[in-house]
Amino acid sequence: MAVVWCPDWPVVAWGIPLDEPAMVVVANRVVASSPAARVEGVALGQRRREAQGRCPQVAVLERDLDREARLFEPVAAVLEELTPRIEVTGPGLVGFPTRGPSRFFGGDASMAAEVVERVEPVLARRGDVRVGVADGVFAARLAARSRAARAGPVVTEPDGAAAFLADLPIDVLEQPDFTDVLRRLGLRTLGAFAALDAADVVGRFGRDGQLSHRLARGEDEYPPDLRRPAPDLAVTWQFDPPAERVAGCAFAAKMLADELHDALGGRGLACIRVAIEAETEEGRTQLRLWRHEGALSAAAIAERTRWQLDSWLRQGTGGREGGGPGSGVVRLTLVPDEVVPAVGRQLGFWGGRNERAGDVTRVVARLQAMLDPEAVSVPELQGGVGPAERVQLVPAAAVDLAEERPATRDEWVDEPWPGRIPPPSPTRTHLDPVSIEIVDRYGAPVGVDGRGEITGPPALIRALESSDVLDRRSHAVEAWAGPWPADQRWWDPADHRRRARVQLTLDDGSAHLATLEGGAWTIEATYH
Amino acid sequence: MSRSAAVRALQERVAPVTLSREHTRPVPDPLAPLFAVGGLPQGQVIGFTGAGSWSIALALAGTALGEDGWLATVGVEDLGLLAAAEYGVRLDRLLLVTTPPADRLAATVAALTEAVDLVALAPHRTLGHSQARRLAATCRERGTNLLLLDGGRRWPLPTDLTITTTPERWEGIGQGHGHLQQRRLTVEAVGRRAAARVRRITVLAPGPGGGVAPAAPVALTPVADPPTDTLAPVADPLAGDSPVGASGSLLDTSVDTSVDTASVA
Repeated sequence: MAVVWCPDWPVVAWGIPLDEPAMVVVANRVVASSPAARVEGVALGQRRREAQGRCPQVAVLERDLDREARLFEPVAAVLEELTPRIEVTGPGLVGFPTRGPSRFFGGDASMAAEVVERVEPVLARRGDVRVGVADGVFAARLAARSRAARAGPVVTEPDGAAAFLADLPIDVLEQPDFTDVLRRLGLRTLGAFAALDAADVVGRFGRDGQLSHRLARGEDEYPPDLRRPAPDLAVTWQFDPPAERVAGCAFAAKMLADELHDALGGRGLACIRVAIEAETEEGRTQLRLWRHEGALSAAAIAERTRWQLDSWLRQGTGGREGGGPGSGVVRLTLVPDEVVPAVGRQLGFWGGRNERAGDVTRVVARLQAMLDPEAVSVPELQGGVGPAERVQLVPAAAVDLAEERPATRDEWVDEPWPGRIPPPSPTRTHLDPVSIEIVDRYGAPVGVDGRGEITGPPALIRALESSDVLDRRSHAVEAWAGPWPADQRWWDPADHRRRARVQLTLDDGSAHLATLEGGAWTIEATYH
Repeated sequence: MSRSAAVRALQERVAPVTLSREHTRPVPDPLAPLFAVGGLPQGQVIGFTGAGSWSIALALAGTALGEDGWLATVGVEDLGLLAAAEYGVRLDRLLLVTTPPADRLAATVAALTEAVDLVALAPHRTLGHSQARRLAATCRERGTNLLLLDGGRRWPLPTDLTITTTPERWEGIGQGHGHLQQRRLTVEAVGRRAAARVRRITVLAPGPGGGVAPAAPVALTPVADPPTDTLAPVADPLAGDSPVGASGSLLDTSVDTSVDTASVA
């Protein structure tokens, strides 16, 4: 396998020369930086402020995955001229089997040199290209990332992957929890780990240990016999009219990805390589393979599909969307190119912190597909006076259910809200408040005067409409409390609301929160 | 420990496996007498009916879910979420699903049982007989409890347990002063098989400081002293002059009259 790696791609995609300090942040953490920034002490995972403290002149960029994928497409395209079987792992990283191209160019070394020669003009000095060739993807990637690769392509001996890996530190497995254990056992290099007996590794570390062990020995993560010939599960979407913009394809990509993921899941399979195929109006077919170690989740497949379509749709238009006539996509097909037994490893996407949250997330996704995207929501606290106003519903798709959600904790809203009614809160907050009338014992309507005082003690209430909250009979008020006046947004004439609330307990044992607004009473909530 | 208790304890320890219907979820101590086995059996369908029954449902959910359990509601758009939190339901373990179309209700609930521990629902349409039977079987198999907040009116099968509440009295609220604080509630549970005997208890729900609490054995304590709430009682300065402490019965008319005449004057 050969791996072509463009280092610091998130920075390169922004068009910043690598000799200028720049960093890309996500949620205020550095996820990529230019070499010039690293010299100044900017490191991955640093907080944005800390990084700016070390390197005040650093340019701060937001991560833009779509842009990264789009700008990587020309690189992928020149490699595709060398060999049709390229596999993109992510923007900046692509691999391909070397057997064919190496024979054609007369050996791995000259093939690798050819790669560099073709990719460099595309990058136009904006970025760097590194090439590694080794037996497996893992070794090839490490070869591309090795120090020696800065000078030129690194080609390991055939069947020499294990020897090449042996001296590398164990951390290159990029599983901190696991390698930490290994280091404490005195295993500091891949070679030392690879020397262990495979059966012992499985016995002690389970499946994750086994996969890492295979990598350390220079084998592929999944042995060839585990890679089943993919069942015929290709999913297809016809566009009518042809899609010319990626926005129009995004929905199809999501639907296809979900469909594919469900079909695979039903057979206990997970996809580690997916082929994305599009046919244009002119009848031209384009195909690209995307690979992911572990397994591609439905969301990951959808995202890659969107990236790929975005790149294709902008082809030959100088980056503009909606290309020339005949370039619209009429058919999109996703083919699970390589599948492995699913072992729930994709839970790792949620950090493994809370497996339940992974199950819940999957169910939520299914319900969204089955009902509608807004059908499932989760509560968050917010400032407000009335019991219903103090909670807002957020679409479940908009939050990460596995993460801490501070907006659900009491401390989230701590400023005082005058007019709030002390707890306990009502167990039912009516979506459509029920109109009622309240009278005192002489039959005079009860109101609240300008000073926020009640005009007479409530004695009887009667519902003015049918509901399951209160029947239409008159009910005697047994006890009452309030009013709690609330003058909301008094500074905004359009949105100004004056309300007063009272608690009532009735002769049928029920208790309600009644609200007076604009002279009319309603039951806003019930202590059910 | 008596001899029989020792034997029982030993039996529990050596019992090889427990059947899924013997798996229970924890319940708040004051509500434990409602359950024949001392906890909420997993996979059961429970109906809640009567004023105050939602409080019991939330109190059960709050304890049964523990730290990491998930609750989903289906078509209960009017659930008081603040109250849920006060009863111990974690808002970050709560999914709210809008009312699905009638033909997808069963599928929606069945999907939820794969990931959540409790599903609270108040369906707007009656479920079909066979659908309900399948759903009940799914719940039994996965251990998910269905909480029917409409008392099971639209559930065509008998529920495993029906909890009926009758509110006795609210405390903390008077005639224009105080606020709702705690409620004495009679709770009755009757079910099938082991739960066929009617069990009745009286609790405070909500109790002092939220949650459910055991009710004092004698219910003679009148309304508590008006709490020194800065907002409520002083809203009507006259209410401060009127005698307080009587519960809201018809006998209070004298109090009301005095207020009325005073306000006229």
